[in-house]
Amino acid sequence: MNLIKRYWLTALASIVALVVFVTPFIFIILMAVKDRQQAALRDMSWPINFQLVENFLAVVQARDYMLITAYINSTILTVGSVTILVIVASMVGFVLQRHPTKWTPVVEFFVMAGLMIPPAVVPTIWLLQGIGLFKTLHGMILIEVAYNMSFAVILYRQFVATIPREMDEAAIIDGAKPLDVFFRVVFPMMWPVTVTNIVVQSVGIFNDFVNPLYYLPGRGNETVQLTLYSFQSQFNTQYNLLFMDILLVTIPPLLVFLFFNRQIVAGLSAGAIKG
Amino acid sequence: MAGLNLKNLYKSFGAVEVIKGVDLDIDHGEFVVFVGPSGCGKSTLLRMIAGLENITEGELFIGETLCNNVEPRDRGIAMVFQSYALYPHMTVYDNIGFGLKLARAPKEERDRKVREAARMLQLEPLLDRKPGQLSGGQRQRVAIGRAIVRQPEVFLFDEPLSNLDAALRVSMRQELTKLHHDLDATMIYVTHDQVEAMTMADKIVVLNGGVVQQVGAPIDLYQDPANLFVAGFIGSPKMNFIEVTAKTVGKGEVLVQSDVIGEISVPLNSDRVKTGDKLTLGIRPHALSRSDDGPFSGQVELVERLGNETVVNFTLSNGSAWMAVLDGDEPLKLGSEVRFSADVGAICLFDAAERRIR
Amino acid sequence: MTTVALDTPKATSTPKALRKDLRYPSWFYLPAGTIYFILFLVPTVASLYFSLTRWTLFNSTFIGLENFQQFFREPFLFQSLINTVIFAVITSGAKVVLGLLLAVLLTSNIALRGFLRSVVFFPVLVSVIGVGITFTVLMHPTQGLINTSLEAIGIDGPGWLTDPRLALFSVALVDIWRGVGLATVIYMAGIVSIPQDYYEASRIDGARPIQQFFLITVPLVRPAMVTVIILSFIGGLRLFDLVWAMTRGGPGFASDVMASVIYKQYQAGFYGLSTAGNVVLFMLIACLAVPLAIFLNRREVNQ
Repeated sequence: MNLIKRYWLTALASIVALVVFVTPFIFIILMAVKDRQQAALRDMSWPINFQLVENFLAVVQARDYMLITAYINSTILTVGSVTILVIVASMVGFVLQRHPTKWTPVVEFFVMAGLMIPPAVVPTIWLLQGIGLFKTLHGMILIEVAYNMSFAVILYRQFVATIPREMDEAAIIDGAKPLDVFFRVVFPMMWPVTVTNIVVQSVGIFNDFVNPLYYLPGRGNETVQLTLYSFQSQFNTQYNLLFMDILLVTIPPLLVFLFFNRQIVAGLSAGAIKG
Repeated sequence: MAGLNLKNLYKSFGAVEVIKGVDLDIDHGEFVVFVGPSGCGKSTLLRMIAGLENITEGELFIGETLCNNVEPRDRGIAMVFQSYALYPHMTVYDNIGFGLKLARAPKEERDRKVREAARMLQLEPLLDRKPGQLSGGQRQRVAIGRAIVRQPEVFLFDEPLSNLDAALRVSMRQELTKLHHDLDATMIYVTHDQVEAMTMADKIVVLNGGVVQQVGAPIDLYQDPANLFVAGFIGSPKMNFIEVTAKTVGKGEVLVQSDVIGEISVPLNSDRVKTGDKLTLGIRPHALSRSDDGPFSGQVELVERLGNETVVNFTLSNGSAWMAVLDGDEPLKLGSEVRFSADVGAICLFDAAERRIR
Repeated sequence: MTTVALDTPKATSTPKALRKDLRYPSWFYLPAGTIYFILFLVPTVASLYFSLTRWTLFNSTFIGLENFQQFFREPFLFQSLINTVIFAVITSGAKVVLGLLLAVLLTSNIALRGFLRSVVFFPVLVSVIGVGITFTVLMHPTQGLINTSLEAIGIDGPGWLTDPRLALFSVALVDIWRGVGLATVIYMAGIVSIPQDYYEASRIDGARPIQQFFLITVPLVRPAMVTVIILSFIGGLRLFDLVWAMTRGGPGFASDVMASVIYKQYQAGFYGLSTAGNVVLFMLIACLAVPLAIFLNRREVNQ
């Protein structure tokens, strides 16, 4: 009897979880393909007129193809900052784990500070203006690198600890100089954590809203997340188009999730075992 | 042609001194084995020769060159690691050729050398595989191949066989000995396994606590250990010991006494012993034979009957555990009393400073 | 061979040749360090000064602690401080508890386990703004799906985002929906690493599932729990995008949090005040999250 009770309890919990977590996504998809009048009702009804293509074209064309510009900007931002992040963070993670000195605690402090301290927004704008990087993609890329550095370093440092030091030494005996040791031997061996880093950071940076809002304002500078923000006011009577945009913005993370589920979960839960 | 000279080498990690003044000469072409218990500093000494650890004090010459501050790649050495340290992302071919690639050797030369090494080690069919697809013995061979292609003056081995199973270890031991003959290079080999040391070495260096205990040919170390440590470390099963007192010191002999074994007269050509000195008497298990009036008696604890020989563990009346290895089959009963005697020529004596005096 | 002959073979002891330094060169820190220093550390340090000024980006006037006084004097600014703490406590508390329950559910033998795991985790990866907009629509007081559904079973749904007493909690609810997947995943990693032996041994000792949960799962999943608490608490204190997408801090200032106040003051051109808000948020994290982290980690060592 107890068994039956437990069985029903887990089944109930599963169903509740399913409803709570899936319904909003079904809602988004349904809204995105409805026509304007039906979408205005904001209910779960089945679409009468399927307007998938029409809505898609309307959203893409809106505001002078703003979404296209935004996708290009977001892609450059994501690819650029993740590339830099992977290279510089892996170098730090490697030396930090391999060669502790009296400065190591200082570096570790800065790593923790980078995770916890909220960035000082206006002084950063002031500084970016000073060095001519405000409202530029270059500046935005460097900002993303700086803000996401800590997490990337932590992932790399944890992984370097699993690579035996004998690998470095074998390379040194083989005649490798420090750059060879790192880029030809250690970095290729870190590939699994590099994939994790690429995936986790791409999703984070692609989804970043706050930082582009502050540091990358201006026409033509929109990122994908900011299109949502501006369509929110523009399309407040065209819910079908608004939700089509939400759908389009959700697709890249969905693809990443489908292909790299394991790496994402590994990356985000890294450190769960050892605080 | 490169021998090695180690002159008064010291190594400390912070306040901890690990190598305490090692002097050692190694001739070109010698197969030298560093042996000792774990923590004795043998691996550290090897790594100092490789250039992986700084030399705190002293001088290291490889050939004619003072190498204290020479980068590992310029020392003319190659090293085989305990874990093999094969690059997992490279094929066997690239693993062997990596050093040549870094040295920017021309492609044809590199290819020729890699294939030559592969042929020597029977690795040819495996050249396109990654290390993950190899067995332990094959990985071992790749690691050796990686060392060979660099044509070093000195090969360094850091416990290279300890990750292999017993059967493979025996055959790799033979292969390494053969390789040593074929290559005519100096080899330095670190192990904690004294069987490896005894079977492979031209010269054994016994280390303990960062100090060289004795250097010599394997058989000399067995027959003529310099001190209590070497006597106990070399030889299997290990030498039996008991504390005794010098009762009377005569001309050319000494009468030693203990409550456990009574009195034994041992020939001695040393004037360092005085009456009343505390000494240690040692005797190898193989030197004991059964005898009803022998001085060494005890209670049988364990009998291992191997057919061709019998290993007897027994305890003396003071509780110390001894062993005897007897020829042939000796069906002894557990718990029974046994007596052994030994040829006086096989008896060793050590003074209070643990030096051997006979 | 290529042994390099040294010109001066006379040195008897090594000069402090720090070979390890050469092998693991410190300049590897440099590229990352430069970016971090210029774009993160400099502004953070500068904020300590600018928070004491009236500031137009071009010139600043030192006004002492006036910005901070204003923060604690103006009710709507002070309210945001309180809201931030309430928000962080509620969301992290709920994620700690719900995440654990979901993790236990999703590591047990249930139908559709893989699919359920994906479903719970996916919101973590979705655009926060997208989530915010979707829930704003769902939570509309008269036409939102939530209230029309409640109406169908005879319940008069509240004005989720329009009622000043409710708005902050509604946003918190959405944040829990969005973020509990991350907590679940962290917990699951912790639960999976608990050896099955403990459960089998305790079952032979006669422990019931509930007892197993409290006597084995909860204590052994502690490191994961510490991570979840700290991550979600700091995340809660710093949250901006969801509030901004759903209420813009409204109605009135009812759901304003520190991060939204910082943005509003920035938009209004009160740069000094905005920066002071940043410093206050920084202090809040330093005074609440850091001691919490130290406390939790110390207990762990003592066990």
